Amino acid sequence: MSGIDAVKKIVETEAQARRIVDEASAKAQQIISQTREQAERIRQEAIARAQQRREEILSEAKNKAEAEALRSDQETEQILNNYRKLSEERKATAVSKAVELILNA
Amino acid sequence: MSESLEKLQNRILSDAKNKAEETIKDAQAKSQQILEEARQRAQRESEEIIAKANVEAESIRRSILSSKVRVNRLRILDEKNRIVEDIIHSVEDQLSRISKSEQFEETAQRFVTEAVKAVDTDQPVVRIGFRDVSKRNLDGVSRVLPKGGKLVIDEKPIDDLGGVVATDPEGKVVFNNTFKSRLERLDNQLLTLISSTVFGE
Repeated sequence: MSGIDAVKKIVETEAQARRIVDEASAKAQQIISQTREQAERIRQEAIARAQQRREEILSEAKNKAEAEALRSDQETEQILNNYRKLSEERKATAVSKAVELILNA
Repeated sequence: MSESLEKLQNRILSDAKNKAEETIKDAQAKSQQILEEARQRAQRESEEIIAKANVEAESIRRSILSSKVRVNRLRILDEKNRIVEDIIHSVEDQLSRISKSEQFEETAQRFVTEAVKAVDTDQPVVRIGFRDVSKRNLDGVSRVLPKGGKLVIDEKPIDDLGGVVATDPEGKVVFNNTFKSRLERLDNQLLTLISSTVFGE
């Protein structure tokens, strides 16, 4: 083999080597690019799940508060009924005592 | 020569392959790092969203409950006020009809005595006016007046409910001893009495 042929062979081999490196580099960029897309998907899915959970938390809190508010209404109704009953039972006594107070104080 | 050329070629290709493998490995390692960071970031952001939601939920709960508690407290206060007002109306009604009771003469005399004492003069002018009361019903009242005193009988109840108003001769000193005035003067005691009797407070 002549010297020129040998140089040609080396040049070809180096070109082949560059292709191997370039292809690997392109593949690496592709891996990174796909990974970034995957990472963004992971983030978006996690945020979407968190937003969904947020809606559930707010809805649960509202329902729970409304249930407590309903209990407060029922307790208030009981208190009001009790006051009305007491008023019926004790009105005559209260009026009598009040009249005595105004007359004799 | 040919053998060493082949070795050189193999070495060039081998170096290239090694570099390529290293590049891919680096990319894969970086990829794992990116994913791990993304997961951690997503976790952080999710936790922030949930934490804020919990705070917001507590705020919503408090807002709904405090609003309801406020409304219900007002309902209870309104009802108590209504009951107390109703009792006071009955008291006023009963007081305005006192002339028909056995207590009337004694009460009228006492009201006059108190009023006269309050204006502290030898010549008090006493106006008296109760519902359904005539001069005949007020004979006893004249007896408790001092000698220089003057009794003026109103045909209508003074201040709507009836009572007594005493003044000195110049009208500078006035003591209002009508039921309405007594109700106003005894307002706090009256409310306490009614509340304790009806509500046990």
